[in-house]
Amino acid sequence: MRITKIAKAGTLESNDILIMVMPNESGNVELELESIVRQQFGEVIEQVILHKVKEMGIEGITIKAQDKGALDYTIGARVETAIKRAI
Amino acid sequence: MYGVKTEQVNLQDRVEREEVEVFLQNFNLSLDQDVDYTIVIRDEALNQPAIVATCSKARNVLKCFAVIEELQGEGIAATLISTLLDKLFSQGIYHSFIFTKPANAPIFASLNFKLIHSNADVALLENGLDDIYKALERMKANYNIGDEEKASLVMNCNPFTLGHRYLIEEASKTNHEVLVFIVEEDRSVFPFKARYELVLKGVSDLKNVKVVPGGEYLISTATFPAYFLKEEGQWMKAYVELDSSIFGKYFCKRFNITKRYVGDEPYCQLMEAYNQALKTVLPSYGVELHQIRRKAIGNIAISASRVRTLIKEGDFNGLKNLLPEITLEFLNTNLGREIVEKIQTTHAPH
Repeated sequence: MRITKIAKAGTLESNDILIMVMPNESGNVELELESIVRQQFGEVIEQVILHKVKEMGIEGITIKAQDKGALDYTIGARVETAIKRAI
Repeated sequence: MYGVKTEQVNLQDRVEREEVEVFLQNFNLSLDQDVDYTIVIRDEALNQPAIVATCSKARNVLKCFAVIEELQGEGIAATLISTLLDKLFSQGIYHSFIFTKPANAPIFASLNFKLIHSNADVALLENGLDDIYKALERMKANYNIGDEEKASLVMNCNPFTLGHRYLIEEASKTNHEVLVFIVEEDRSVFPFKARYELVLKGVSDLKNVKVVPGGEYLISTATFPAYFLKEEGQWMKAYVELDSSIFGKYFCKRFNITKRYVGDEPYCQLMEAYNQALKTVLPSYGVELHQIRRKAIGNIAISASRVRTLIKEGDFNGLKNLLPEITLEFLNTNLGREIVEKIQTTHAPH
């Protein structure tokens, strides 16, 4: 499935993550992550985001994630909401 | 502070507006005229809840930001900025700037704003789905800009005069390739599209000249708000330094620009200050500034503001000496006549 518009979910507050999604032409899933705990958890956060995208069956999406130390289920919920808003 | 609520200020309401203005005065700030959305946070513990924090925006530029000292470091900025980003998104704006004091830059950097440039007085940061690097890449691709050495000009052309034509010609004669950036911000009496097309057609015979829309980073409300507000106060120096530096640091580097041409400025104090800033800033980025004496008719140098004055006075014969054929033709189109009427009936510096 493809998303059709730009959307976001989340905030920049502590323990949250701001997810912005936009459709792209390439058909791939592109992820740009900024995180205050990137060094410790960067890979895990990326996995959680990509897993959610795959689970929802989305292709052709560019994701910009600005993380402020969110827990995994927060990340999943924000990604899901952003994508649902963008469909 | 946990669970703070932001509240939108009705900018049309004089009392509400004044309350924000008074609050900002404590921080040596004012509520700019072009602000279109303002939020505040109040201390709910008080009987008459006073403002403890505020932030505003003018289209995609966040500004007039202040938090009382007692609450700094409590994450209030994150709440304010998140709320404003929500508003921007709901307006379909996915890229924003923040204009602030250099001391505040780290606060916004921690909220994922990227520093574009800062000097002693101001810092400009950006956030969102776009950034200056992507914007320049797009420009390069869309206008087929190569890697050879170039000269450049940045012009508003409000409207395109024989003076502009002369400057571009001078640059074109002595350089291999010339880039002319046209100020894209639509705040001038001649709309961007018309200004751009007049230049494009007006220099189409000069084969080594490319006319390119200036985008969001050259003399825009983000990089140079004073240009549009015609403010000449304390901030002028900071603004012109900021704009010149962005040009040197990003544009010249990416497009291999080694020279910039400007006309001398006998009339406008602001533009003269801008030229001075270019003169000091550009060499530090390896760019030469060439100041060319303006083309004059008799004793009077040609300028777009002179053209607008003549239009206001209805002196269309006088215009023939100052404008190329293409601009004269434009003034006779429907859109052109509308603009002429607008100039004659309103009083605006631009």
